[in-house]
Amino acid sequence: MPVTGIRAAGDTPVREARRGALLTLVRPVARTVPWRALVAGGALGLLAAAVPRLSGGEVTPWAGVNALRAAALCCALGAAFLLDDPARQTTAAVPVRRVLRHALRCALVLPPAAAWWTAAVLLVPEEARPPAGDVTVEAATALALALAGAAFAVRRLGADRPGQGVAASLLVTGVLAPLLTPADWALFTVPGDPRWADGHGHWRLLLCAALLAAAVCCTEPARRRTLRTLRSPSRT
Amino acid sequence: MSPTVSASGLSLRYGATRALDDVSLRLSPGVTGLLGPNGAGKTTLLRVLATAVPADRGAFTVLGHDPGTARGRQEVRRRLGYLPQTPGFHPDFTAFEFVDYVAILKELTDRAARHREVRRVLDEVGLGDVRGKRIRKLSGGMRQRVALAAALAGDPAFLVLDEPTVGLDPEQRMRFRELIATAGEGRTVLLSTHQTEDVAMLCHRVVVLAGGTVRFDGTPAELTARAAGRVWSSEGRDPGALAGWRTGLGTFRNVGDPPPGADLLEPTLEDGYLLTLDGAAAEVTA
Repeated sequence: MPVTGIRAAGDTPVREARRGALLTLVRPVARTVPWRALVAGGALGLLAAAVPRLSGGEVTPWAGVNALRAAALCCALGAAFLLDDPARQTTAAVPVRRVLRHALRCALVLPPAAAWWTAAVLLVPEEARPPAGDVTVEAATALALALAGAAFAVRRLGADRPGQGVAASLLVTGVLAPLLTPADWALFTVPGDPRWADGHGHWRLLLCAALLAAAVCCTEPARRRTLRTLRSPSRT
Repeated sequence: MSPTVSASGLSLRYGATRALDDVSLRLSPGVTGLLGPNGAGKTTLLRVLATAVPADRGAFTVLGHDPGTARGRQEVRRRLGYLPQTPGFHPDFTAFEFVDYVAILKELTDRAARHREVRRVLDEVGLGDVRGKRIRKLSGGMRQRVALAAALAGDPAFLVLDEPTVGLDPEQRMRFRELIATAGEGRTVLLSTHQTEDVAMLCHRVVVLAGGTVRFDGTPAELTARAAGRVWSSEGRDPGALAGWRTGLGTFRNVGDPPPGADLLEPTLEDGYLLTLDGAAAEVTA
C-alpha cells in the first residue's frame, strides 16, 4: 500500500519527522554538493597562500596579508557554486524547506573549509602572518558574500546553477573593491597600520550584513515582490 | 464535495509581461487538461499552484490549505506531486537513489517504508528493471519517467504535470498517457500540454489559457462543440478560413466561418481549441 507524505513515519509528530528527514538527507545532500568546484577553489587558494613562502627571500606583512586575501577570494569563488543544484526544478515543491537544505550544504562544507583555512594561514611564514582572527573575519566575509549572491540568484531568479555568474561578479568585486572602496573604510590595510583595528570593525559589520542577506535570501517568500529582472519560466 | 484547488483572481507579472491576469478556477479529482499557446501562462499557473512561486495577487487554497502562509505551503507540499517542464537530475544518482532523495525531501523518513514506496513508483512508471542504472545513462523518455516517479512518491493527492509528453516518441507518449490516466484515478491531476489528443483522451475537463487569462473552462465535449458547424471541406483552401490544410484525401479541411452551402465536417477538440484562441486573439486586437 502506498505511503502518504508525513504519515510514512507513523504517528511521528511533524517536527520529529522533519528532524528525521534532515538526518536522512545528510548522505544524499553530500553527494549533490559540487565538490569539484570547491576543491578547485581551495587548491588555487592554497597555492595563493603559499606564494610568499615559495618565492623565497624576506616576506613582508603586506605580502602575507594579501596572499591570504587572495586565498580567501579563491575559496569564495569555489563557494559561489555551493548552491548549484541541477535538480532544483524537480525539487521545487517539497516540504523540506529550502533554508534547511541550504543550511545542510553549508554545514557539510564548513568543517573542511575551516581545516583548509587553518592550513592556508599556516602556510604564510610566521613573521609575515597577520592576526589570525582579523584575517579570518575577512575570509568569512568573502565566503558569506558568495553564499548571499548565490542564495539571491536562487530566490529572485530561480537559477538552477547560479555559481558561474556569482563567481564572475565576485571576482570583479574582489579586484575592484581595493581600488573603489573609500579610503576611510580602511578595509584593505596592512598589519601595523594604525587603521587596522577600525578597518576590521568595518569588516565585522560587512560580515554581519552578508550573513543576514544570505539568511534572508535562503528563505522562500510566501508573497512575492515584483522585480523587473525576473524571467518568465518559458523565457517569453 | 469541496474542490482540491480553489483559486480566484491569481495574477503575476514578470517585469512588464503579465503572465497571469485574474485567473480563477476550481479543480476536482480527475485529470484536468490545461491548453494554451507558448507564453500563455500555463507553466506560470502550474508553478503558482504547485507553490514553487508565489502569486502577486489573488488567493487560492489547495486541499483546504492556504499556500500564502509558510505553514499552509508546507501542508500543501506534503500532499503534492510536481513534474516541472524541464525536470533536472543529479546525473550520478541511480534512478532509485534519485527518487529516494526526493522521497526524503517529501519527509518519508522511515527507511523501509520509503524504499518500498520508491520501488512501487518506479515499477508503476515501468522503470523497475533499470532502477540501479545511473540517470546519465538513461534515455530522455526514461528520465521523464524518473521525474514522474519522483512526483508520484508519497501518493500525492494533487499532481501537477507540466508538458510531460514533450520530446517523447509515440510509443512513450502512449505509455505516459496510461500512467497519467492511472494517476488520475482518485486524485486531482492538472496536466499542461500542447497535445490536444492528450486532452481528448485523458481529461474530464479542459481549461484554455491565452494571454494569462482563462478563455475556456469546461468539458472536452463542450470545447469540441464550439467548432460545430464551423469546420468544412473544400477542393481548395478557403481564403475566408481561419486555418485550412490539405488532408490525406486531397481535399482541404477548413476551420472558421463557413461559406453558405459548405460541406460541413465533424469537429474535433483541436478545432474548438483553435477557434477559442482565435476569439482570444480577436479580443486582444479589439
